[in-house]
Amino acid sequence: MGKNILCVPLDPVHDVGLKIIRNALLNKGHNVDLLMPDLPNEEIINFALKKKYDYILVSRTLGYGVYELLAKFIDLCDAAGIRDTAKLVIGGKPITPQLAAELGFDKGFSSSSSIEEIVSYIEGKEITSDMNKYKKVKKDFISEHSYQFFNKEIEQALNIIADKFLNWAKDKTSDGILRAELMRNYITSGKRDSKAYEEYLKLCDEEIKVCNTGERYIKGVRVIEEDELLKLDNFLQNRIAYQPVKIQHSNTHPLIFKFLGSGCPIMDIVHGKICERWGVDGFLLINPSWEARYEGLLHNYLTHQNDGTITSLENILLVKKYLLDGTYLTVRAHRGLNTPETTMLAGEAGADMTKINLVYGSLGAGTDPERLGVDGLQAIKYAAEYNMPFDIPGNDELSGVPAYKTLAGLLINVMIGLKVGAKPIPKPLFCYGPHIMINGQMDKNYIDYNYAKIQALREIADLPIWPGEPIAFMTQSEERVQSANATSYHSALAAFLGVDAITIASTDEAYSRGPICVASRIDSLRAVQDAFKFIGDTKIEPTKMCEVYKNEMIENIYSVLSSVAREDNLPQAIYKGILGNKEEDGAYPGTFGKGTVRCK
Amino acid sequence: MEETALNHIMDGIDIETYLTCQNEEEGKFLARKLGEELNLGEVDVMYCEFDGFGVRVRLRKYIVKPGDKYNWI
Repeated sequence: MGKNILCVPLDPVHDVGLKIIRNALLNKGHNVDLLMPDLPNEEIINFALKKKYDYILVSRTLGYGVYELLAKFIDLCDAAGIRDTAKLVIGGKPITPQLAAELGFDKGFSSSSSIEEIVSYIEGKEITSDMNKYKKVKKDFISEHSYQFFNKEIEQALNIIADKFLNWAKDKTSDGILRAELMRNYITSGKRDSKAYEEYLKLCDEEIKVCNTGERYIKGVRVIEEDELLKLDNFLQNRIAYQPVKIQHSNTHPLIFKFLGSGCPIMDIVHGKICERWGVDGFLLINPSWEARYEGLLHNYLTHQNDGTITSLENILLVKKYLLDGTYLTVRAHRGLNTPETTMLAGEAGADMTKINLVYGSLGAGTDPERLGVDGLQAIKYAAEYNMPFDIPGNDELSGVPAYKTLAGLLINVMIGLKVGAKPIPKPLFCYGPHIMINGQMDKNYIDYNYAKIQALREIADLPIWPGEPIAFMTQSEERVQSANATSYHSALAAFLGVDAITIASTDEAYSRGPICVASRIDSLRAVQDAFKFIGDTKIEPTKMCEVYKNEMIENIYSVLSSVAREDNLPQAIYKGILGNKEEDGAYPGTFGKGTVRCK
Repeated sequence: MEETALNHIMDGIDIETYLTCQNEEEGKFLARKLGEELNLGEVDVMYCEFDGFGVRVRLRKYIVKPGDKYNWI
């Protein structure tokens, strides 16, 4: 049976909030009377006495003298006996449950309270304010795409490149691949065979060996004490996300990812939990850059006083343990000499995805192209085996590589992945890269060129698309509002384009002299939430230049892929600079692990 | 340990304000001095832009950094 409710706007002008609530309550079958704004208390009381109301909902923005006004209203209700039958409820901008109780109301709702919460209260249902309220379920955005190629010329070139590469790599191996298998045997055998671990250590650099035997740690690295883990557990057990936020305004809006990689898994986890409350959908766990240079990984719960969190099995498991089931975790693997092992560990730890780009990992991240070729292929095979899609960042564009070469590199990874049964996700950049600055494609606006990249990929094939990394790269400054705005504009474009996911920066990402602070993470999540609400389901109209850029891009991608296809194998094409050269693009083939690939 | 608000800071403090000054150099000097006057010690000037009247600044002081033992946990 419907309740009798009286809505009382005590505010001099505004009653919009109560009008929305009235409509929601009427839709639920309740009987609602709404008074006009700013009536004297006595008139309100007279009206309230005409009917037996179950609830009297008062709205008022607090200001000078209002506390007294509300106190008088409560006194009059008491004196008239209204409280004997009706519950008095207040809502308004600075209202908190505590303030409502102090004023003498039965319940208070703030401006952040949802209509659903108010209706639930009226109907006597439990108001949920924990994460269960917006229980996230991971969306299988990969299977929404067929991976069908529409551009047959490009498909043919990619087939040639991928087949040649797989043929080149088939009889090759490295210490990185051997270590990954030894470590997998070690951790999955159940008995933690010490001989297997000894074999593993023999294939590690001395610095890694001494760390793993506990003799001496790399500068800035230490083992996390048991007491710290217990305190973390206690800290999280005693807290629950209050009124969690959903960022997407419609189901077509992309998933939101952020980086984690403060150096310390405890800090990462706590930042992660706070970001979950503010609506983030997933995280990319980023390893330290020095990890790329060493043969072998560190094991144990480890913290590190520098950029990047050590991706030991223990650390990945720890992060995974505390994130919600509905939060994605992807682990960066494509840098350096431990790519297969990192991917395998991510798979064993139950990560959702891993991050591999054979081209960028060689050109922008320092690893020798041959070494990353064989290691990366094994990593992609692990990704397929563990059913982890792998995301392919196009960040070589940031060193000056033109977008068409970067996109060609992404597509090569896509085809190699598909041939070994993996699920690749290309990540074109939404950025203001050096090549764009020099050539002026973004002088008029920031939309046409980013838009063209997405349209080009979509004309080539039906692929999941996840712009990154993060979006708005090189358009952000250390100034907080500008940085949040840049992220929000680019996220609005991504929302309109209907891409599957985006990686966003924090508002201190452009500041390179210290770690990310959680307040800056919240800034950008809030900005994107507003941007999604702003763009909603409307359209952005690019100029005619978008079509010109897109056509040029497809043409150039084909030209690059044709050149790569003429080479004996992919690493050779990378060495020759076809996917980014030293002279024009500032892209240097990496040297870590040069000369370490050998025949099986 | 003493129960202070500072011990509850998860990582760092950003201070954003406007300082009147003659040029950017003076603005940066004042920004750092402000950190000391607020008993924060040495603060980093994340952002500083002079507009002819003064500087819009964003300053940061890390209370704890990743890898430290955290007071708030």
